[in-house]
Amino acid sequence: MGLLGPNGSGKTTILRILAGYLRPSAGTARIAGLDVVDDSLAARRCVGYVPEDVPLYGGMAVREFLVFMGRLKGLTAPGLSGAVSEAMHRLRLEQMHDVQIGRLSRGYRQRVAIAQALLGNPALLILDEPTNGLDPRQIIEMRELIRSLGGERTILVTSHILGEIERVADRVAILLDGRLLGVHALRGSGMAQRLRVRIRGDDQHVRTCLARVPGVTAVEAEGEPAISATTYVVDADRSVGEALATAVVGNGFGLLAMEPAPVDLEALFLRLTAQRTEAAR
Amino acid sequence: MRNFLPLLMKEEKAVFSSPIAYAIIAVYLLLMGYTFTLMLFLNRTAELVRIFFQAAVLFLLIVPVITMRLLAEERRSGTLELLLTSPVREFEIVLAKFAASVTMIALMLLLTASHAVVLGIYAEPDWGPIYSGFLGLFLLAGALSAVGLLVSGLTANQIVAAVIAMGIGILMWMIDSIGYLLPDPFDTIVTSLSFVAHFTPFATGALFLSDLGFFLTVMLACLLLSVRTLARR
Repeated sequence: MGLLGPNGSGKTTILRILAGYLRPSAGTARIAGLDVVDDSLAARRCVGYVPEDVPLYGGMAVREFLVFMGRLKGLTAPGLSGAVSEAMHRLRLEQMHDVQIGRLSRGYRQRVAIAQALLGNPALLILDEPTNGLDPRQIIEMRELIRSLGGERTILVTSHILGEIERVADRVAILLDGRLLGVHALRGSGMAQRLRVRIRGDDQHVRTCLARVPGVTAVEAEGEPAISATTYVVDADRSVGEALATAVVGNGFGLLAMEPAPVDLEALFLRLTAQRTEAAR
Repeated sequence: MRNFLPLLMKEEKAVFSSPIAYAIIAVYLLLMGYTFTLMLFLNRTAELVRIFFQAAVLFLLIVPVITMRLLAEERRSGTLELLLTSPVREFEIVLAKFAASVTMIALMLLLTASHAVVLGIYAEPDWGPIYSGFLGLFLLAGALSAVGLLVSGLTANQIVAAVIAMGIGILMWMIDSIGYLLPDPFDTIVTSLSFVAHFTPFATGALFLSDLGFFLTVMLACLLLSVRTLARR
């Protein structure tokens, strides 16, 4: 899940509330059903948090720091050493185990911070601007790491860079001035879906046919409609691929191609923020 | 309290891996040794009352330097965010930091005990005032540590933390002086808040529960306020 918004939109504040560092001035926040204020300690056990500035104890060696953090997260002697070794292996930190954190590069510091967040196997991993300050190679590695971790647990990533969120997140929540503008699926996830379909047939009839399919929320033609074939971008609030194909073929149109269409995050962001600005006026 | 031990170990390492700690201990021992030698040869009496008062005044200046980094440094470097988002209770953090500071002071007092040992070897001192004097110093240093920790939790600047804690400590030390200018019952109230008024009986060999209770109350109040400061975030 990506949290996207310009600087000052409230991304870090939300993360800090979820991580238990800040108390909400109003409203509630829950993690795994646990209120972050009333069940703060239990909620914090469910969260691994990597703040934006990657604060670490520079005077500690990497392994020493991870053992310390593991103890704070409730890991004890038999499992602690194994968990630390596993986290170091996963983040490729073995060779750095006795190096002082203060001497590490930004990329390695980021890895150490993520390794400590993984200790205790939290259900939710929160990464605040994880690619900030990294060089291009480290950014690519970080994206791969986030994607690899995502299969096992929920990861909440923030960024003010559209491309970063687009590459690592399945869903995106867009924020502006502390307000949530919308939550959108970026990839097929069984929820909202966007398909690009190439169909041969009369434009008006095809549009009517597509719009009638349950779940379809919008149909737009890409370019000018042509007699030979037209490409449509279909937005739906659920998985509609099979129903769409059945409807097109059943109505006698030619179904030439159908593929998932990536959400144009840039357009979506501009549209939502423009709407918000208009509403504010 | 399961997090107390790892937090204390971390604090101890931070305290004793810093050159500040060794500089403080060295200067403290040098000044104490100088005064002890001077007293011994000038007065030729087997007692440590003046030594206790000098140590107390040195603690007013030294303890804030020990405590200044405890929370201010964590706040400045952002590691406080790391600690407070871990499943750790605020009072565990505060207690561990307080204990680390008190451990260093206990070490300094232990080294000062060498003066008492010298007296024991070459004379026959009255041990009662010596024991109570050390207890008084320990309690005073504990109270100053708690004040320093509280102030350190309110700022991200270590120098500001040290200066403010020093100011509070010195004011609390000599606040009884203003009692002479105040009408009853304010003079009694002000005097009862004075560090020197509660420390003097210890240094001269008189133990009163009220003095013990005073220092423990100051410690407890400051530690609770420190916990509150962290929880308020």
